[in-house]
Amino acid sequence: MTASRLNRLAWAAAALAAILFAIAPLIWMLLTSLKTNREITQETSLVPAALTPDNYLSLFNGRQFGAYLTNSVIVTGLSVAIALALGTMAAYVLARFRLPGGLDRYVGFSLLMVRLLPPVVIVIPIFLLAQQLGFLNTQLSLIVVYATFNVTIVVWMMESFFREIPVDLEEAAMVDGDTRFTAFRRIVLPLAAPGLVATGIFTAIATYNEFLFALVLTSTPAAETMPVGAATLIGRINVDWGAMSAAGVIGALPIVVFSVLVQKHLVRGLTMGAVK
Amino acid sequence: MALPTRPGTPGAALRGAGLDRVLPYLMLGPAIFLVLAVVVYPLFEGLRSSTGFFRFGRLVRSVGLDNYRQAFDDPLFAQALLTTARFVFLAVTIETVLGLGLALLLAREGRLVRRIRATLILPMIVTPVVVGIVFRLIYASDVGLLASLAHALGLSSPQILSNGDGAFWGLVVLDVWEWTPLLFLILLAGIQSMPIEPFEAAKVDGASGWRTFVDHTLPLLRPTILVAVTLRAIEALTTFDQVYVLTRGGPGTSTQLISIYGYQTFFQFQQVGYAAAMLFIVSLVVLLASGFAIALMWRRGR
Repeated sequence: MTASRLNRLAWAAAALAAILFAIAPLIWMLLTSLKTNREITQETSLVPAALTPDNYLSLFNGRQFGAYLTNSVIVTGLSVAIALALGTMAAYVLARFRLPGGLDRYVGFSLLMVRLLPPVVIVIPIFLLAQQLGFLNTQLSLIVVYATFNVTIVVWMMESFFREIPVDLEEAAMVDGDTRFTAFRRIVLPLAAPGLVATGIFTAIATYNEFLFALVLTSTPAAETMPVGAATLIGRINVDWGAMSAAGVIGALPIVVFSVLVQKHLVRGLTMGAVK
Repeated sequence: MALPTRPGTPGAALRGAGLDRVLPYLMLGPAIFLVLAVVVYPLFEGLRSSTGFFRFGRLVRSVGLDNYRQAFDDPLFAQALLTTARFVFLAVTIETVLGLGLALLLAREGRLVRRIRATLILPMIVTPVVVGIVFRLIYASDVGLLASLAHALGLSSPQILSNGDGAFWGLVVLDVWEWTPLLFLILLAGIQSMPIEPFEAAKVDGASGWRTFVDHTLPLLRPTILVAVTLRAIEALTTFDQVYVLTRGGPGTSTQLISIYGYQTFFQFQQVGYAAAMLFIVSLVVLLASGFAIALMWRRGR
């Protein structure tokens, strides 16, 4: 009896320690963002003496944080939508058709190789190409690049979802007069909805968080996304700690809210995105 | 002629006419076009750049394999590779041990456990740049969390980002904080898909918790651990964002990971060809590791 109670106590202590380790750094950032800069630099207090919204106001008045967030949402939304549309169709073909000369298998393998390629290897040529084409510092350049990266992920994840759907259902629909594409749209897609949700979550988080390509391809608030905007606050000689912590909170907020909204599918999406 | 579907599926009965015959190509085309234009073509351009000499961002002439030779003679490149290897090895090892512990701790069902899991994965979904900010706010010697704690306890502030060892370990801790959740998630999935029988038998035999873990859990989980470690190591090899925010590679070269060095070679030193060659060498390493991971997954899938 006491042994099992001791066990339960040890379990609770371990779980609590893990939770503390995971969220204490984030809470510290939140607390810092609510202090005045004077309190941050001179008083080294743990908890703010009085809460102030000044750091947040400074981000949006004069520092263009609204523009960064808008860019992030536009770029993420469009590139994920494009990738889901194109990737789903391609994944369906790879899951259902055998093309002459083993073309489908060849394409599937190539897409997997591209997915495994570290993006950093093409950052230099992409920059040079964007420069030549006059695409530097546009939302379009980021949308195209992200849509492409996401397409390979979508194909990879959705193919296995389509394989799990019995082909009889499409046949039945086609006997009833559907074309193959209508059968795909009307029958297969709705059945693959959980897969679409998981894939969408994974790609949306990865895209919103992307930094390297955004850093290289954009240079003004006309196209810079949130991670780049937050990073530009740093690197000066005098760090504005208050603004920096507020930027961190604002940057993390959409992701945290999003993850609460999709909580039910989140773990599945993240695990699948990593391992499949 | 109608398109044959996968053998063994009844789909061979599907017969389409007209549009249906070209349908697979229409559906596959746009995705392939994107990948060809945005990945494959730049890849070849990059390969060309890596054998070229640039001036003011323009390819002046080809220099063959000189850029690759330069990489092998460059002590900073060797240093960056070594730092990256140390970083990946230390971070991934700690993440695996902690992730396995968490997975064992939380491999049960219930609303509370689900809530705890959802909380624990927060670090891995927070934007990496923000993670960099979070840890600057912890390490900063004047305003950081550690400094404030030390102040409250009457101790002097710890100096972390101002010395090489401190900064390197600070980066390892950052990575452990951010990515232990990923190892946790993958290993949890592995634990939850393990067969129950060996564990029931061990219980009947009266085996201790530790013996059960060593005799049954670890061997059954081994393939999953290998996959998880390889996947995480591949990603860690090209860590960039967090270092960019936390230390920019400094002080000195103590946290100069390979991607940071490549970035600086390109954007600060304007050595386009050399930077491209360096990144190709790194990608080759990553692809080899990926091949290893795929072989593992393929074996596990059978």
